[in-house]
Amino acid sequence: MTTRSLSRRHLLQAASALAAPVLLGARARAAGTIQMISHRYPALEYYADKMRNALPDTTVNTQLMPFDKALELETIAFSSKADTIDIAYANDSTFLTFAKNGWLRPLDDLWAKYQDEFKLADFSDSVLKTYHFNGHLYLMPFTLNAMLFFYRKDLFDQAGKQPPKTMLEYRDLAKSFNTPLRAGTISCLKPVDAALNESHWYLNTIGDGWFDKDWKPIFNDTRGAQAITLMQEITRDAQQGFTSAANDECMIALQQDVATMGLQWATRAKAMDDPKKSRVVDKMEFEAPRQGRARISSDGYGISAFSKQDPDTLFRIMATATNQASMRGAASFALSPRQSVMQDSELIKENRFYPAALTAVGTGLPLPGLAEFYSVGDFITRRVLQALTGEMTVKAALDAAAGETETFLKGHGYYK
Amino acid sequence: MRRRLRTQLPLFLLLAGFTAVNLTPIIWGFLTSLKQPVDAFAVPPEWIFQPTLTFHAQVWFEKGFGAFLVNSVVISVCTVLTSVSVGTMAAYGLARLSSRTSRGLLFGLLAMRMFPHILLAIPFFVLAKTLGLINTYLAMILALVAINQPFTIWLMRSFFVDVPHELYEAASIDGCNAWQVFSRVALPVVRPGLWVTALFSLLLAYNEFLFALVLTGPDTKTLPVAIAEYGGEDINYWSLSAAAAVGIMLPIVMFMMLLQRHLVRGLALGAVKG
Amino acid sequence: MVYPLGYAIYLSLFNYDLGNGAHDFIGFGNYGALLAEQRFWNSLDRTVAIVLAAVGLEFGLGLAIAYGLYRLTFGVRTLNLLLFLPNIVTPVVAALFLRWIFMGRWGLIAGTLIGWGIFPPDFLGDPDWARATVILADAWQFTPFMIMVLYAGLNTVDQSQIEAAQIDGAGVWTLLFRIMMPAIQPLIVFVLAIRLMDAFRFFDTIYVMTGGGPGSATETITLYTYALAFRLLQVGKACALGVLTLLFVALLTALMIRFVYRRERGAF
Repeated sequence: MTTRSLSRRHLLQAASALAAPVLLGARARAAGTIQMISHRYPALEYYADKMRNALPDTTVNTQLMPFDKALELETIAFSSKADTIDIAYANDSTFLTFAKNGWLRPLDDLWAKYQDEFKLADFSDSVLKTYHFNGHLYLMPFTLNAMLFFYRKDLFDQAGKQPPKTMLEYRDLAKSFNTPLRAGTISCLKPVDAALNESHWYLNTIGDGWFDKDWKPIFNDTRGAQAITLMQEITRDAQQGFTSAANDECMIALQQDVATMGLQWATRAKAMDDPKKSRVVDKMEFEAPRQGRARISSDGYGISAFSKQDPDTLFRIMATATNQASMRGAASFALSPRQSVMQDSELIKENRFYPAALTAVGTGLPLPGLAEFYSVGDFITRRVLQALTGEMTVKAALDAAAGETETFLKGHGYYK
Repeated sequence: MRRRLRTQLPLFLLLAGFTAVNLTPIIWGFLTSLKQPVDAFAVPPEWIFQPTLTFHAQVWFEKGFGAFLVNSVVISVCTVLTSVSVGTMAAYGLARLSSRTSRGLLFGLLAMRMFPHILLAIPFFVLAKTLGLINTYLAMILALVAINQPFTIWLMRSFFVDVPHELYEAASIDGCNAWQVFSRVALPVVRPGLWVTALFSLLLAYNEFLFALVLTGPDTKTLPVAIAEYGGEDINYWSLSAAAAVGIMLPIVMFMMLLQRHLVRGLALGAVKG
Repeated sequence: MVYPLGYAIYLSLFNYDLGNGAHDFIGFGNYGALLAEQRFWNSLDRTVAIVLAAVGLEFGLGLAIAYGLYRLTFGVRTLNLLLFLPNIVTPVVAALFLRWIFMGRWGLIAGTLIGWGIFPPDFLGDPDWARATVILADAWQFTPFMIMVLYAGLNTVDQSQIEAAQIDGAGVWTLLFRIMMPAIQPLIVFVLAIRLMDAFRFFDTIYVMTGGGPGSATETITLYTYALAFRLLQVGKACALGVLTLLFVALLTALMIRFVYRRERGAF
């Protein structure tokens, strides 16, 4: 036994000896490599690949992971002012937190500098506007996305029905199509992100929205309560497990012929026709939600304020990845913020969902431009789900959420 | 003999049945890794299907999980070696100390383990960043040893405590110094305990996710982090994670199979010691 | 090792907002706020209920199976290995596997039952069932740990004691409860304490399976801590919650040890 414990110690010394060169080696390698952190879905994988191959003599290390993990990592790194991230992912909502805390480097100067080289004027103004904070541009838009109304054309034709023109029609249709084996509709209400998406539609279409112009919550007024009550009614015809369903689970429900219709992201439309994933190939049809006001969102990348890399290089990598040719390549699984791409007739012909998506981008609304929206989203989605499962009444839940939101925002310097 | 069989056979069948049911999630996960998404999440679930190895191939070849495996193994092995050696010595010391002091120390150590894991991530990150250790093996190993030390010490201590005092006294009387009592008398007796501790430490280190996420970089990424990166937003990824999940289990399973013989032999020896 | 813990405790005394970097010293303000919150007490109750149920289940089941294995004379090694597999699976992955089994409508259980015409409740969507499922998930992953340690322990019990008892005519169950369990008391205390502590920190699996939902049915203390730290960015408060968790678990563990050793003071 003595010999064994001694030999263990020897192994340990050998191991640390091995670790030392790796330690030094790793640091040396890391100096020139550009670190990029991102959310993961097919369009972003495509763009990550483009970024890796953007400039010939740069090494870009791309790390893609689920949305909340990326947010965690970015939060930890930025809050400790670390230089471990150079290019960071954010969407139209999360970037506000980053910008407000001074974690991102404004892009105005670089944008102006490279205006001609990369034809940056092609980017749609409305999208660029959402990426401004306090008058400065913080993010380069990569993808555009809108929620569409998905429905089974074959089942609708069989029953002689038309897609709903109003929310109330939607409720009635969901009910009429609801059978034990196939739910009337999908509902994706996993906190925080998915639940916010759906509530956004209801609160904007039937309710008066989320906040007034002073950022006081108004979603708990009478119309807001009506909106959530309607959501509650509709979930009675939704697929089982909707309270923990995020986009993926809803997709599976639609693809496996277990639900008839519902709200989902335009970027997922193509997967409905993929025989490796779907049983309803060519049976799904897409429409912009008739009353509009569903969520539109945009994903983009920004430069960390603490990065030690040359900002010009970083900007050029991002701009190369988003040039016109590149965006055309991504057309089937992402909408593009470049106007030339969005209005390309060939692409519109190739992708069944484009017309609906184009309309939806026009009629949709992004999430409120509040930097703390995801934070208060935690309270709000919790309360909404408590209302839906019957733990509280809708009005009580919304009032509680409004109260918690106000307290939180007050603590963050609002309502002066 | 026949009477024995009458009790043994039902017992075996009962245990085997339980084991089979217990393994269902793993078996189902394994099957999922062999199916195309349309079959994997089919309703009603399909047990007969066209298998495909594309996802397994993708995981190991396209996505480079081989490198992550190396990282995971290096980090886990170093952690176990450090943690078990240091922990065993500390545990022996504690076991020989008087009751009240050792109890106090023990509780203090455990405080680390009672604190939510996720909150320790930030201080550790800040610490590692200041020392410039992000993206190195050392950062992970140190963090893991720190986290697992209480467990190792406590587990080994309970094995040491089971050793009767007379054994120690006899050895000292025979002229052994403190170190020799430890290495020649105590250690051999608790050998099965050592293997058990090593195994659990290995598991904890190998499967550690949160700290790996925060402390490793692209060069030292471990398997759990790699798998989690394929978590959401597209069912294609789910099939990939299933394939990766099966792959990540294999080294440990093989290790356990090799270790089984030692474990059982050690346990049998331990039972006779009285 | 002490530094991170110390730093975290230090942070809990501040109103440290991760986002805007506000760093005001508010003494025990965070603690006061937490103790006054309904959400804190609710999640504490829930956590205690889930932990006690899960650990109880694991111990009972683990002991029974360990004893069964002890009495078995063939195939033990294989069964041991197979039974241990759930503990080997990375928690993140285990959570995913379990989700595919329990998911409403197309999960393995639901899908199969519906195929037979029976409509099961929503395991992850119904508040009570969600709690049961979470308990089951914890038990699935950690009963193997119990089995392995208890089995090792049972094997270290003095053969002579067992033979003596058998000669005296002790039955199968008396043997277990009167002879073997007292003999491995330190080990039992250890294993229960470790499980209690770990079960309180149980996070990955619940997060993936139910996200704390539906509503707040499965929101345990760790999930609340996570929400505080990473969604609300109130790290100070989260650290305060962490310290409270630590104190509570320490109290629980001390009580448990006192209870098990009440007849043998000083044996620990």
